[in-house]
Amino acid sequence: MGKVTYVAADGAATTVDVADGENVMRGALYNDVEGIIGECGGGLACATCHCYVDDAWAAQLGTPASKDEDELIDSASAERRATSRLSCQIVMDPAYDGLVVHMPETQY
Amino acid sequence: MAIDVLNPKPPVFQRVAGMDQIPPHVPKELVHSAGITFGPDFLKAPHAFMAEMHGKYPPLYYDVSPYGNAWVAIKHEDALHILRNAEVFSNEGATPFPRDPDDYFYFIPQEIEPPMHRKYRNIVDQVFSPQGVLALESQMRVLANELIDDIIEKGECDFTESFARPFPVTIFLRLMGLPVEMTDTFVEWAVALLHSNERQIMADTLKTISVYLKGAIEEKKANPDDGVVSRIAHAQIDGRPMSDKEIFGFVAFLFIGGLDTVFATLNNIWLWLAQNPDRRAEMMAAPENINAQLEELLRVHSVTFSGRTVTRDFELRGVQLKAGDKITCILPACNFDPEVFPNPTVVDFHRPKKIVLAFTVGVHSCMGAHLARLEAKVAIQEWLKRIPEFSVKPGTEIVYRPGGVIGPHHLPLVW
Repeated sequence: MGKVTYVAADGAATTVDVADGENVMRGALYNDVEGIIGECGGGLACATCHCYVDDAWAAQLGTPASKDEDELIDSASAERRATSRLSCQIVMDPAYDGLVVHMPETQY
Repeated sequence: MAIDVLNPKPPVFQRVAGMDQIPPHVPKELVHSAGITFGPDFLKAPHAFMAEMHGKYPPLYYDVSPYGNAWVAIKHEDALHILRNAEVFSNEGATPFPRDPDDYFYFIPQEIEPPMHRKYRNIVDQVFSPQGVLALESQMRVLANELIDDIIEKGECDFTESFARPFPVTIFLRLMGLPVEMTDTFVEWAVALLHSNERQIMADTLKTISVYLKGAIEEKKANPDDGVVSRIAHAQIDGRPMSDKEIFGFVAFLFIGGLDTVFATLNNIWLWLAQNPDRRAEMMAAPENINAQLEELLRVHSVTFSGRTVTRDFELRGVQLKAGDKITCILPACNFDPEVFPNPTVVDFHRPKKIVLAFTVGVHSCMGAHLARLEAKVAIQEWLKRIPEFSVKPGTEIVYRPGGVIGPHHLPLVW
């Protein structure tokens, strides 16, 4: 279990517990955090769980984990930035306790 | 539209059908009758037909048919817009199965909009998530091999009956906790509901299915197990048990959704595999690329459509839509949109990753997508391992089924 803070585009932050092994997209859905949609359910098929990993975590988590994730981020509605990730591909681990992700203005 | 999940009511919008029921706001030049799912040109080669719609029809037009008039969207971009804008394009009443107005129920979660929609999805998402379905992978591989054992020595089979039907349906019924030995009966019901194009047959079949499922639900209430029907029957929502109509509408929707779509998908893919030995060899030579191969095969062989009801007057692509209009996204056509997939009819296993509309998008994105993908992947891998060389039986004429899930009736193979 670790804490993940989701920062909305307007700056409002929500911190929730996310179980180890669970992904950051589901952490938002299960806790009613708005701003992450994840319409495909984590299948690397929709680009609606787009987030920007906070600069403090960029070294560990700021780079897409696969070529598919990297390419699919280009289909996201909001602009791509240096630490753009699909949050379904960030799997919680004790080492990520305290992770901060920023959410784009829109997923559509 | 706000609906009360505990007091299901039929939608106020009525269906219209035929040339004499074209609403006055529809411009004449946008009226066409493409015959999608039933016309002879469509049935001859449905996917080629839908690929050719770009260029033949306006990107958004009004389709008139004896089975129902609706706006038709064929652009990838428009489908994303429509399917991701549930406030304007509602799913209420979008499921075409006729129900008794005096004993109405909603198909759940299909006809429920956010935020309630998410609460229903949370009940089953663990089972159907990418991680959840992995628990089924080893039994899928065993089943695939058992089915192949039965036919491999014969050197031929009707793929639809010997593999495409029993493989996904068995997995699905086990997952639901429903009796696998009733496969044939369930499939007959699904076919009558999805392919008859006759509202009376659809209504009668839905009644038959209802009686059966209501009995099965009562049985699970009394004797819980780890199947999905039992999970739904015992689930809480908003801190309360679900009503009988919610449980039924949820189970009935999964039941209808689980019996026919992977079947049709496998038939379409195997027809292509049988006709393209060099591409099959290419796939076998690059087993590490199976996910991309499958996604590309799903793109060009998508089997279904997404219909919505327009809830308020809205302008799309310069066309005025009015509240109450129906609109259908032709998902297979959207997957051939040349603006998103250049040379769209070419099967290319190295395309950049894009949003493929095989399982629709938006909140109503198919919850069985991960199950379906894994089934198709396992089926391709196990089959090609044991029957790498096969072709369509000489002299076969491929005939497609009319109706809302596109695939051939029969697919005789030889090896």
